[in-house]
Amino acid sequence: MKGIHVFEGFQTTVLSVATAVFPLVLLFVVFQVLMLRLPRKPVVDILKGTMLASAGLLLFLQGVHIGFLPFGRALGEALGTMSHRWLLAPIGFLLGFLTAWGEPSVRILANQVEDASSGSIRRSTVLYAICGGVALIVSLGMLRIVYDMPLLYILIPGYLFVIVIIWFSNKDFLSIAVDAGGVATGPMANTFLLALALGVSTSMGDQDLMVSGLGLVALIALAPIVSVATLGVIVNIKEYRKE
Amino acid sequence: MVAAVCVLQFTLVKAPASLFLQFLIGSVMALGGLILFFTGIDIGILPMGRFIGAELPRKGSVLLIIATAFLLGFATTVAEPDVLVLSRQADLISQGVIQGRVVLYVMAVGVGFFVAIGMLRIVLGFPMVYLLAAAYSVVIVLSFFAPTEFIPLAYDSGSVTTGALTTPVMISLAVGLSSVLAGRSTVSDGFGLLGLASIGPIIAIMLLGILLR
Repeated sequence: MKGIHVFEGFQTTVLSVATAVFPLVLLFVVFQVLMLRLPRKPVVDILKGTMLASAGLLLFLQGVHIGFLPFGRALGEALGTMSHRWLLAPIGFLLGFLTAWGEPSVRILANQVEDASSGSIRRSTVLYAICGGVALIVSLGMLRIVYDMPLLYILIPGYLFVIVIIWFSNKDFLSIAVDAGGVATGPMANTFLLALALGVSTSMGDQDLMVSGLGLVALIALAPIVSVATLGVIVNIKEYRKE
Repeated sequence: MVAAVCVLQFTLVKAPASLFLQFLIGSVMALGGLILFFTGIDIGILPMGRFIGAELPRKGSVLLIIATAFLLGFATTVAEPDVLVLSRQADLISQGVIQGRVVLYVMAVGVGFFVAIGMLRIVLGFPMVYLLAAAYSVVIVLSFFAPTEFIPLAYDSGSVTTGALTTPVMISLAVGLSSVLAGRSTVSDGFGLLGLASIGPIIAIMLLGILLR
């Protein structure tokens, strides 16, 4: 059994956290001096919070670096070299569903939609629509890597569909739908699934990682937009029928 | 999620035990880190966003609002955990050809720019649909001109920008602004900013690719 490297690359992580937080702190200091002039108490609170967030960021990045990334990659490589490659589709489906299911912001979005439709679309419907959409698209994304298909073949029709559908969608739904793109791509999807896709792509051998390995996260972002915008069209149709 | 991975580990994959253990430790660290991060955002960074958001309209200068929106978009993107992970990975897999730091700052400028446009939209009361349709059209057209190795990175960066840090700050900024202006609905005006913000880096990274070629 080889050693476990918990602090491998720790210095780089510290450095990147420092450069990441610096602009935000600078911005606040400038505002504080020139415009806000807050009393001491809130300033101390803000600085404390920022310190805490930086510490959390440091821990998160290091954990991802030593845990999610290498393991996701190893998992992906192992899956990619399986004799039954089509298995990647159901596995992708499962992992996609689980990541969306476990994402807190998806649930918040589901509540928003229920409110915006004044109850005519239930939150569980939204939840399943999004999780199902993400699951479907992750398995599609896995197949894309295996069969070496350009990302644009999926993305362009997807976005064209969105451009068309937003004209028929309920106005309140539209804004929610567009924001929804970000909700399913939480820290889990962005780190673990990213590494998994890279691993699968590596195991295919002759692929350019920049072309084939990346792009899964982009697909995941598309799914909720389509789901929610479609729900918006359904609401419009329902209202139209009532009149 | 972790449970599903464990099942996969024991049935299909059988990665080396040390790697698996490292994954478990890493997961615990990442989880703990996220909890700390969110707590920190709650007590520190959100109030910061709210103070700035409340102060801005009082000055009554559109230029100031837009400049601040740009800076806030930039600063929050640079500190976004997912963005840091993606830019590092880009650096790694392109073997340093595409520098992580460059990607990071280009993405941040893209976000800042589009947040500024989104703010301008709220101030002017311009309908969201036109802006979105135009922005997505630009994305599609650019996709045909950008070098292939940049396209997946560009679309990925669009999705990672709207994460744990950017989302709450942007929403509080937009909702704050649209609640001060008369005759704006907080739903259709307050939201939508994030979607725009995520288009910014897609366009920015594709332009970077075109420029570098």
